[in-house]
Amino acid sequence: MNMKKLHKLLFVLLAVLLLPGWLHAADFITGKSFGDDNEIVVKFAGPVDPAVAGNIEKYTVFEETDPDIRLPLISADVADNAMSVSLKFNDPLNTTQTHVVSVKGLTGEEKTEFTVAKSYLGYLFSIMISALLIQNFVFTKYLGLCVFFGTAKRKSTAKGMGVVFTLVMVISASMAWFLYQFVLVPFNLNFLQIVIFIGLTSLTVQAVDTILRKVNPVLFNSFGVYLVLVIANCIVIAVPLIVADNNYNYFETLMLALGAGGGFLLALYLMSSVSERLELANIPPSFKGLPMAFIVAGQFAMAFLGFSGLQVF
Amino acid sequence: MANDKSISQLLSRGILSENPIFRLALSMCPAVGISTTVMNGIMLGIAVFFVQVFSSVTISAFKDYIHPRIRIPSYTLTIATWVTVIDLVLAAYMPGAYAKMGIFVKLIVAFAIITMRLEMFACKEKVSDSFWDAVGMGLGFMVGMCVIGAFRELFGSGMILGYDILGYKPLLFFILPSAGFFVVGLMMAFFNWIEAGYKRKKGITS
Amino acid sequence: MKEILNITFRLTVSCLLAAVVMGSTFIITNKAKKHNEHVREQNVMYSLLGYSETNPPPESVSMHEIYRYVVAEAGQQFIGYLVPGAHGGAAPFIFVALDLDGKLAWQKPVEAEEDKVLELESRNAAILAAIGPGKDISFAEQAIIVTDDGTRIAYLMSGKFPGFKTFIHTMLALDPKYTMLGFEVLEHEEDPGLGAEIEQDYFKNQFDGKTFDILKSLKVIKEPLPGEYQKALEGKVAEAEIEKMMDQYREQDIYALTGATISTKAVTVGLQGIAKKFAYRLDTLDSVLKEQQIAVSFSN
Repeated sequence: MNMKKLHKLLFVLLAVLLLPGWLHAADFITGKSFGDDNEIVVKFAGPVDPAVAGNIEKYTVFEETDPDIRLPLISADVADNAMSVSLKFNDPLNTTQTHVVSVKGLTGEEKTEFTVAKSYLGYLFSIMISALLIQNFVFTKYLGLCVFFGTAKRKSTAKGMGVVFTLVMVISASMAWFLYQFVLVPFNLNFLQIVIFIGLTSLTVQAVDTILRKVNPVLFNSFGVYLVLVIANCIVIAVPLIVADNNYNYFETLMLALGAGGGFLLALYLMSSVSERLELANIPPSFKGLPMAFIVAGQFAMAFLGFSGLQVF
Repeated sequence: MANDKSISQLLSRGILSENPIFRLALSMCPAVGISTTVMNGIMLGIAVFFVQVFSSVTISAFKDYIHPRIRIPSYTLTIATWVTVIDLVLAAYMPGAYAKMGIFVKLIVAFAIITMRLEMFACKEKVSDSFWDAVGMGLGFMVGMCVIGAFRELFGSGMILGYDILGYKPLLFFILPSAGFFVVGLMMAFFNWIEAGYKRKKGITS
Repeated sequence: MKEILNITFRLTVSCLLAAVVMGSTFIITNKAKKHNEHVREQNVMYSLLGYSETNPPPESVSMHEIYRYVVAEAGQQFIGYLVPGAHGGAAPFIFVALDLDGKLAWQKPVEAEEDKVLELESRNAAILAAIGPGKDISFAEQAIIVTDDGTRIAYLMSGKFPGFKTFIHTMLALDPKYTMLGFEVLEHEEDPGLGAEIEQDYFKNQFDGKTFDILKSLKVIKEPLPGEYQKALEGKVAEAEIEKMMDQYREQDIYALTGATISTKAVTVGLQGIAKKFAYRLDTLDSVLKEQQIAVSFSN
C-alpha cells in the first residue's frame, strides 16, 4: 500500500468521523457547550427574543440520568447581538454527564429541548490520548516490560516492534470485542475471558504471520521476527480485559487499541534513543545491560507521571 | 539431561541461580507494578506458584499425548485454564487481596516464565521432577516479589505487612509505581555485583 | 491429512477438558463470591452505623431497601420507587411512580418474595409484571432506611462521582436530619500516597457530624490539618477530647490532603451532590406517601 493511497484512506476516514458534526448545522441551535465550571453557552442561528432567552423562569435544566433534579439557574445573559446566551448555575456542573436543557417559548415554539454534552469525538480521542500518554501501558501501567526491554536497544528494532504490535493489537482487540459482545456476554461465559482472549491473540499472530509471508516477503523479513514476541506481551491481553471490564463499544475499543499500540511504540522509541546513547557512556560493570535499562525506564516513568490528571477534552 | 537432579538442586535453582525476576529477567511486569507491599508480593506469588505448579504437573502428566505441532497452543490452553481457576477462586474467597492485584492475576497467562518452563522442562521430565522444579520457580518468584516489596514498603511507608516499623514515611517515592523500576534495576545490579565478586573469588574469569 | 485430523481431535479434547475444569470452578466459586460480596457490603454498612463485631446491631434494628427506577411511558418520564409495604399490608412491595414535579402519578402493588427483590433481574421482572405493558423501566440506584423499633435512625446510600483519575465509589450514612454520620470509600483509582489518602481516617472523619446545612456549603481550604484536630480524627486521644475537637471544628471547611487538592475537592463535591439529591428525593417521596396514605414499613 503506497503512501498516496494511505493518505486518501485517512482523509475519507476522518471525513466520515466528522460527518455527524456537519449534519447538525441544520438546527436552530448552532452550538451548545459547557463554558466555565458552572456555565452552559448556547448559540443560535438567528437573533432571539431577550425577554424569553434572558428569563431564567423559562429554562429547565437537568442531568439526563436525573430528570427529577432541576438544576437552579442564577442568570441567563443574552449576548449583545442576541445570537447566544450564557446560562450560569449555582453549583459547578458535572460535565461528565449529558445535560438536557429545555426552553419554553423560544422562536414561538412551545418547548425547545436539546442536550449538552462533551463532544463524543473528543471523548474517543481522549481515550486514545489517555492510553498513549496519561496511562501509557509501559510507563504508567507497567505492562509489556519483558518484550519492551528486549527490543528497546536499537531504533530500528523499536520501530519494527512498535508497528507490528499496533497492528496485531488493533486486529485482536476488534475480534475480542466481537466475541465478547456476541458470545461471552449473552451466554454468561465471562469466566472464559482469559482463554478466549489469549486464543484470539495467538490466532491473530498466526494469521498475520501467514498473510505477511505470502503478501509482502520483504516486509516479513524485516518485521516478522517480532510477531512471536507479541504473544508474550502482557499488553495484548490487558487491552481486551479492559474493554470487557468497562464495556466499551467498538469505536472506544479501537481507540484504546490504537492508543495502547501507539503508546508502546512511543515508549520503545524513547527508550531505544536513550539506549543507543548509553552504549557510549561509561557504566559501572554491575549496571551494564538490564539494570541500567531499568533505571532509565524508571526515570521515564517519573516523567510520564507528569501527565497524570491531564484532561484533553 | 536433567534426569538425576535431586530435589534440593531443583529448588535452589529456582530460587537462586535461575531466579525468574533477578536472573532470568522474566515476568517483570508485576515486579515493577504491584510490588508496593510485601502482602501484594505474597499474594501474587501464591497465585503464580499455583499456576506454575499445576501447569507443570498437567503438562508433564500428559506429555505423551501432546502432539509436537500443537505444543505451544497446548501450553497456552493449560496455563489459561489454571489462571482462570485461580482468578475465580481468589475473586470469590479473597476479594480484598484480589482487588489490590487488579488485572495482574489475569495477566499471569502472559508470563513468559511459565511457558518457558513448560517448554524447557515439564514436557521432557517426569511428573515429580517437574513438580519440584515448578515449586522452585514459584518460590523464587515469590521470594523476589517479597524482597522488592519489603524494600519498597519499608522505605516508602515505614511498614512491613502493615506493621509500623519506622513510625514515619521516609520517602513516599518508593511506593509510587515508578520506583519499581529503580528498585528492580538496583537489585539486579546488586546481584550482578555479588556474582562478579563470587566469580572473582573463585578465580573464574567472566 | 491424518496428521491434521489427529491434531484437531487432540486439540478439541483438550479444549473440552479445559472447559469442564473452568466451568465447574466457576459454578462452585460463583455462589461463594456473591455471598462474600454481600457480607462485605453488610460489614461496611454496619461499620458506618457504628456497629462492629464487638458491638453487633440489636434485634430491633432493621434495614428497609428502597430501589429507585426511571420509568419511561409514552414519551414521558417518571421516577419510580419500589418500597417495602407495611407488615400485614396489602402487598409485600409497592411501586410508587412520581412525575418529574414530585407529585404522585400512579402506584401499583408488587407481589414478590424478598430474595427475588435483591437480584436486579428478578426484581425488574417482578416490577414489569406488576405495572403492566407499555412501560420501560431502568434501575437507577438503591438506598437503605435503617430503623430501630420503628423509628428512623439512619439512611445509607452509595454513590459514584468523578475523582482525579477515574471514578470514586463511596457509601455514606446520614442521620434522619441528613447530618453526615460517615462515609467509606469502596473503590478508587487515585495515586497511592497522594489521592489514595482519601481512605484514611484523618480525612474521612472530617465529614462526621457536619449538619446538612454545613454540608451543602462545604468548601475545601488549602491549609495544613491542625495537629490536635488530626489526633482527634485518628482516635488517638480520649473520647471527651475527641468530642470537644469535633465540636470545635464542626463548621470548619475540609482541609485539603497534601498534594491531592483535586481529589479532596472531588470527594467533597461528590458527597454534597449525593446528599442533596437524596434529601430532595426522600423528602418528595415522604410527602407523597403521607399525602396518599400509602402504608410502608419505614414510616416515621
